[in-house]
Amino acid sequence: MKLSWMFGSSMEAHHLLASYIIVWLVQGGYAAWIAWQWRRTGKELQPDPADLSPRDEDA
Amino acid sequence: MSRVGSELRDELRALRSYFGHVICHLQKDLRLEWRSRESVVGMLFFALLVVIIFSLAFDPTAAVSRQIAGGILWVALLFASFTALNQSWTREQRNRVLEAHRMSPAPASALFLGKALANLLFVTLVELVLAPFFLIFYNLHALGQGWMLLAVLPLGTWALVCNGTFFAALSLRTRNRELMLPLIMVPVSLPALLGMMSATTAILTGESDPALWVRLLVAYNIIFTLVCLLLFETVLSAE
Amino acid sequence: MAKRSCIFGVAGMVWVVLTLTAIAYATRLALVVAPTEATMGNVQRIFYYHVPTSMLSLLFPYVNFMASLFYLYWRRRDPLRALTADAVAISAAEVTVVYSSICLLTGMLWGRAAWGIWWTWDARLTSMLLLWLLYVSYLMLRKLSSTGQTQTLAAVLSVFAAIDVPIVYMSIQWWRTQHPAPVFGGGADSGIDPSMMPAFVWNVVGWAMWGIFLLLYRYGLERRRQESEQASALRAIEGTLEIAQ
Repeated sequence: MKLSWMFGSSMEAHHLLASYIIVWLVQGGYAAWIAWQWRRTGKELQPDPADLSPRDEDA
Repeated sequence: MSRVGSELRDELRALRSYFGHVICHLQKDLRLEWRSRESVVGMLFFALLVVIIFSLAFDPTAAVSRQIAGGILWVALLFASFTALNQSWTREQRNRVLEAHRMSPAPASALFLGKALANLLFVTLVELVLAPFFLIFYNLHALGQGWMLLAVLPLGTWALVCNGTFFAALSLRTRNRELMLPLIMVPVSLPALLGMMSATTAILTGESDPALWVRLLVAYNIIFTLVCLLLFETVLSAE
Repeated sequence: MAKRSCIFGVAGMVWVVLTLTAIAYATRLALVVAPTEATMGNVQRIFYYHVPTSMLSLLFPYVNFMASLFYLYWRRRDPLRALTADAVAISAAEVTVVYSSICLLTGMLWGRAAWGIWWTWDARLTSMLLLWLLYVSYLMLRKLSSTGQTQTLAAVLSVFAAIDVPIVYMSIQWWRTQHPAPVFGGGADSGIDPSMMPAFVWNVVGWAMWGIFLLLYRYGLERRRQESEQASALRAIEGTLEIAQ
């Protein structure tokens, strides 16, 4: 990727871009992980359908 | 005046009974170790093997030996002490002895202190036996003030043993005990490790002043001994 | 209850929008508006992300420490409040690890671009690595200890870690004054040119806001998890109480 039109040397540009992208990936990734876990825990909190329907113990 | 005197006497009595507890625990550990001798002998051979492996790895000349011997000594002792530390607490788990400790009215920190002192003696014994091997294998003689080693070795050993005994008790309740102890102990002990290794290297090479590191070790030991004593009760009754 | 969570939801969304705006603005300032540094060139722009992140990564460990102290205090006196404190503690620890990881990674990339080496054992990088290690070990303890004791043991470790942080910092500084080694970049210490201040300040603000968001979001998740654990424990107990007709 040629970013040298924006900055000086190409190696600098790559490292600069890579570091910014890494920051977004790590921060965004962590937030996404929290969101995913949030949804998973939500499913566990919902009442189990088996508990709601009456069970006939004597049958 | 007499009330102050009697309060003072009560305090002294409590203190004497506290140290009585400590001595009691210490004697128990020493006696147990004396009967099996597995901890000390195991530590000794492990440390020796580490020393030999490092010699093969680096094949040091006399000058290089002096640079690295300090580091190797403490690495060997650190890894050797992991097994001994874990063992000193598994000993308490047999026959539900730990539950008994938890239920007894004796101060929990006395148990910790007794055990830490016992471990200190064991590791010091290992050091004393290891020292001649070090001198031989690396052809060492201290270029700096050799007598300072007599200060650095006990201070460093106490830093390892105090934190080690505490974290071994902490990792007793984890799923993978042998993995947990080094994992939680080493990061916290890193300043002390840096201090003992740098001080030993400074003394052996004579290139820098070990006094700074000795001061660091003293401060570290005071701070963390206090913290360990204060928090041991919490760890013992962690349920 | 539903209304309260509604307000939280809306406030949360507003905060996220504000945070992302602040970060976007700060990034633009860093990449485009801020002047190119004389000696280092454009690579220096990494600092606008690197330095605020490192400053913030030194803050969250103390949030963890305070929360752990509160947990230990409330553990026997008010267990429900203690659970809240514990949720804050783990959130702060995870955010610390995230921020210090970013600090290390961006530092390494900068070093590679500017000096050609990925790593050096200088004072700042080594201290940051040890901070990272301390809180990773905290997270490992939480993961690997048996339930029921996890929180107390972790709180104890947190006290040790927090006391250790300044000691680590000082000892590494002394180590490096005794054996000087090339230093990876002056960074904020060597004085920031006033023209770079807006970019720097906005990045501090933006990433601080983001850090607060992460902390609260993770706290919410931990509370949900605690709730779900309690609910399943309750269900298990109720299951044993069912009387056969």
